[in-house]
Formats: sequence, structure tokens, C-alpha cells
Amino acid sequence: MDVLQSLLIPILNPELLGLIALGTFAGIYVGAIPGLSVTMAVSILISFTFSWEVYPALALMIGIYMGGVYGGSRTAILLNIPGAPAAIATALDGYPLAQKGLAGEAIGIVTVVSFIGGFIGIFALALFAPLLADFAIRFQPRDYMLLAVLGILLVGSLSGDSLVKGIFAGALGIGLGSVGMDPLTYTERFTFGTDALRSGVSFVAVMIGMFGISEGLMQLHTVNTAAVKQKIGRIIPSWPLVRKHLPLGLQTSSIGTVIGALPGTGGDIAALIAYDHATRVTRNPEVPFGKGAIEGLVAPETANNAAVGGAFIPMLTLGIPGDAVTAIMIGALFIHGLNPGPMLMVEQPDMFWFIVSALGLANVFMLIFGLTGIKIFVKIVELPRAMLLPVILLLSIVGAYAVSNSLADVYWMLGFGVFGYFLKLYGYPLGPVILGVILSRLLDDNWRRAIISEQESLWMLLKGTLASPLSLVLFATVILIFVSKTPLWGMIFRKKAG
Amino acid sequence: MQTTQPRRPGELVFTILMALGSLFLLWSAYGISGFEALSAPGAIPMVTAATMLICALMILRDTLRRSPVTSEKLERDILPLPVVVTIAMITAYALLLKPLGFVPTSFVFLAVMIRYLARCTLPRALLLSVVIVAVIYLVFRLVFTVLMPAGIVPEAEIIAWVKALFAGKGN
Repeated sequence: MDVLQSLLIPILNPELLGLIALGTFAGIYVGAIPGLSVTMAVSILISFTFSWEVYPALALMIGIYMGGVYGGSRTAILLNIPGAPAAIATALDGYPLAQKGLAGEAIGIVTVVSFIGGFIGIFALALFAPLLADFAIRFQPRDYMLLAVLGILLVGSLSGDSLVKGIFAGALGIGLGSVGMDPLTYTERFTFGTDALRSGVSFVAVMIGMFGISEGLMQLHTVNTAAVKQKIGRIIPSWPLVRKHLPLGLQTSSIGTVIGALPGTGGDIAALIAYDHATRVTRNPEVPFGKGAIEGLVAPETANNAAVGGAFIPMLTLGIPGDAVTAIMIGALFIHGLNPGPMLMVEQPDMFWFIVSALGLANVFMLIFGLTGIKIFVKIVELPRAMLLPVILLLSIVGAYAVSNSLADVYWMLGFGVFGYFLKLYGYPLGPVILGVILSRLLDDNWRRAIISEQESLWMLLKGTLASPLSLVLFATVILIFVSKTPLWGMIFRKKAG
Repeated sequence: MQTTQPRRPGELVFTILMALGSLFLLWSAYGISGFEALSAPGAIPMVTAATMLICALMILRDTLRRSPVTSEKLERDILPLPVVVTIAMITAYALLLKPLGFVPTSFVFLAVMIRYLARCTLPRALLLSVVIVAVIYLVFRLVFTVLMPAGIVPEAEIIAWVKALFAGKGN
């Protein structure tokens, strides 16, 4: 009964319903317009909504997240520019369809399969998160510590061109998260004797700098790229077409949910793996992959939307974000006084069911907005970036200032923006930095709990890790990620292949 | 770890700065609690800074091995003029926000940036800036209730006047 009541909160409250609709609508545009990313939008939004009640703030952010993951496909199809990394695979077959004058059909089928994928991810969240939370209550501090390391490592290894740069970025994030007074002993850490650093570096300033300003500065390199004009035909797909691709869609939705649920992986990786799966299981596509195969649209789009629900599973049950957007969402929950993790499910189950319901509604709104207003959409996407960029930069500045009405935060944001710009230019991934900032406290607290419970003995900690099946699996995975990136691993596998 | 991409302009300097910065952070982390205990407040910061230093040295070794790219230039591909101008404009915005206030600073920022980046006519840039600042102000000041510095604009008086106008209409 309580579950039903919580599920009905966003449905029966017109304000929340309106915010989810608005968020989804805005998310589609944010995701679609190259240069605007969901991560950027959600990070800017946190600063504007932090004084709100938690439900309206979450309703808006969930809408933007769901709409944004889908919206990336629009420009991938129309302009061959994926609006978001999760739509990279969509461009491979979407753009050839647009070149044949079938952009409307491509957008139509993508919208419907995104909706199907989205629901499968949400269903998995509703089904498995409570089970995982029950299990997670038994996690030891060392397991949380290992999970935090695993999350940062996975994001580091998958989001950049080098694991070492990913680890550097993750460690940098943990270091940034440690700045200020240690909450347990009130010892100053990395404050260099300055008062401004005693309360720590503003998480929102780091986030907006890294994802708003640095992205804006990167976009300046291609600011004058002209938009390509497109024609739109039929949009709503026929039922036989949907039915034909449903089996593949269900498979790739499951792939998307599982990959989204792994700490550190998100919709972009899910979409690429699903595309790869589709190329292997589709024996005779009507049109070859890469030339406009519908299967090449169905697979990544079901997977990336299913990954949204999947990414909420570790976030809500373990407090470990699935990707950069969920890392920012965790930050938002912290700002609103909530503590994502197994205790959230025990102490505030209403929050969990509210999120499930809001995601479901956002998915429905995505279908409605996805199948309507495409012609206006095409006009907006064609807006020159040179006009959009100053607005994004202005919103970033206002956002950083609004958190605590402090100009110092604007300077921090600018500093991290310029630093993030150089990191990006030289191939360092930024996702691990934010993940590191978010997970720094979890890692530090649990490391200290774990080592104190083992009488400050590393040997005892290792013995404890090897004796527990869960700790052992996590530890082995961390080691495996390291080893798999070493030259030794490559040599072994080359020899075997030879 | 070794990548085959050529070394970009400025990459070597950036990597050296990262290594030096990591070394400084390791020294600062050591200063927190030294090697007092594994559970000491400085333990994770030390491991973190040491990890950064090791990674930075590995990246530096890799960067030194790669040959510099010949087709890229620092002033064209790494720090082109629009990037430098934008950073300068954001800094100027931050400096002027308190004394001038949100509305005039944002208006000037947008007008200059749109004119510079989109190369449109001055009247068009001014008109667009007015519309955008008005929308941002209405949405963020009224919907999100974000307080921005009023500066030289008598914001409180204007809001009171608008409220009085509507109150008068209602009577």
C-alpha cells in the first residue's frame, strides 16, 4: 500500500507531473543539441534547484536525464553528429537513413524502441534494487571501499584512451573530495592554511567547471560549423515494423540494463555493446549495417534508455554512481540531505518508489514528445552554436554563483573549467574526476572503518578480503582491470591467438 | 599504456606541470599526519597523491617517447583566440558582476560574445542579448528564485513598482 502511495505521488501531483514533462521536453533538446550534454544540464540545474523541495528537484532532473539520453539520437540521425556519446552507434545507421530521405521513419522507430528499452530498465530497477539493497546491507566497509575503487577504475578504463590517465583523473577527484576539514578528526587536509578551503571545494563549482565551461571551450574549436538542413516524412512507425524488431529490442534492452547497472558504465558503452550484439545476431538484415539497417537503430537506442533504469540500481542501493550523470544525481541527493545507499531503501522507501514512478512518467512523456513537434525541433537544432555557446557559458556562471551567492565559486568554476579544458585536450577523461569527488568520502570512511576493524593490519585486511566471497570477487575484478591493461596481458593473449 | 598518437603542442609542459603538482600534493598529504597510522586522516590523501604522481610520471615517460605533431600549432589548435577571449570574458564577468549587477553585466557579456562568435550585426547582437537576458532573468529570478547581485540596477524598486502596477490593475 505504501509502495502504491509513493508511486502515485508524481502522478497525482500536477506540479510534479508538469516538472517531469518539462524536464523530459527540455532533456530531448539538451540531448539533441550538439554542445549541450545531459551531464552539463543536470550539473547546472543542481545549483538552481538546491533550495527546492527534493521531489520537484528530482522530478525535473529525472525528466532531463531520460529525455536527454533519447534526445542524443535526434542529431545523430539528422546531422550525423551524436548529441550525446550514447548516440554514437545510432549515427552509424541513422544518418544513412536520413540521407535516403527516411529521417522521419528513423526518428519514429528510435522513439518507440527507446520507450520499450526505458521501461525494461525501469522494471529491472523496481524488481532488483530492493533485492540488491537487502543484500547490500550485509556489505562490509572493505566491500564499499572496493566498490568505490572499482567504480572509478571502470570509468577510468572505459571513458578515455588510456587507463593511466583515467586513474590519474580518478585520484585527482578523490584528492579534490578530501580538501577541507576531515569530518572524523577535524584535521585540515589540502587547505594550505587558507580559510576558503576549510569547508572544501564546492562540488557544484567543480562539476559546472568541468562539464559546462570546459565543454563550452572545446566547442569553440568548431563554433562555425554550419548545420545541415533536413526533410522529415512519416514519423509514427507501423506495428509490423515494431513487432519485427521487438525480439532484438528485448535482448538489447536486457544488455543495456545489465551494463547500466555495472558501477562505472553507462548508456554510451551499453549502446556500443548492443550494436555489436545486433551485428552478430542479425543474420540477414534487409539493409547492411552501416548503410541504414533498422537493427542498427533498435539495438543502441533500446540499450541506452534501458541503461538509465539500470544506472539507478547501484546508485540507490549502494551509493555508487553508474556514470557521470548518476554521479551528479548522487550529489543532488546529498545536497537535499539524502544518503543514497542500502539505508535509503530501508529508511526512505518512498523516495525509491517516487524515483521509479518519475522515471516511468518521463519515459511516457519521452514517447509523446518524441513523436510530436519534430519539424519545430529541426529548426531549433539548426540554431548556430555561436549563439548558443554564450548562453551556455552565462548559465554556467549564474549556476556556480547561485549555489552560495559567492563569487569565489565562480572563480573555482572558471579555474576547473580551464583545467578541465586542458585535461580534455590531452586525452584525460573527466568522468572519473567527478566520480572521485563523489566517492571520496565513501572511500575514505570505509577504508578507515575497515582498517580499524582489522587492528590497523594490512595483512589481516587482505586475509579478510580473501575469506569473503563478495570481497574476493570485487578484489579480483579490481586486479583484473589493472592486469588487463598491462603489456603482459597483451603478450599472453597474442601468444594464445598465435 | 603507450599510445601511438603524436604529442600535441603544449602536452609536454602540461604533463610536467601535472607531475610537479602531484609531487607538491604528496608533500602536502604527508604533512597532514605523516605515517602516523593506516587509519590516519592523511592516509587516503597520501595514497591518492602518490597514485597521481606515479600516473603522471608514466604519462610523462609516454609523452616524451612520442614525436611532436607537425600539423598542429599551439595558438591555432590548443589555445585559439576564441578560447582566450572567452576565458577573459568570463573573468571580466566575474569581476564586474558585483559592482555592475547581473542584468548589465550579462547583457554586455552576451552582446560581446554573440557579436564576436556569430559575427552578426551589432543591432542583432544587442537585440538577442536583451531577449536572452530578459528570459534568463525571469526564469531564474522568478521561477528558481535565484538571488543575483542587483548592482547599479534598482531591482527592488522595479519589482515593487511592477507589483504595485499589478495590484492597481486588480483593484
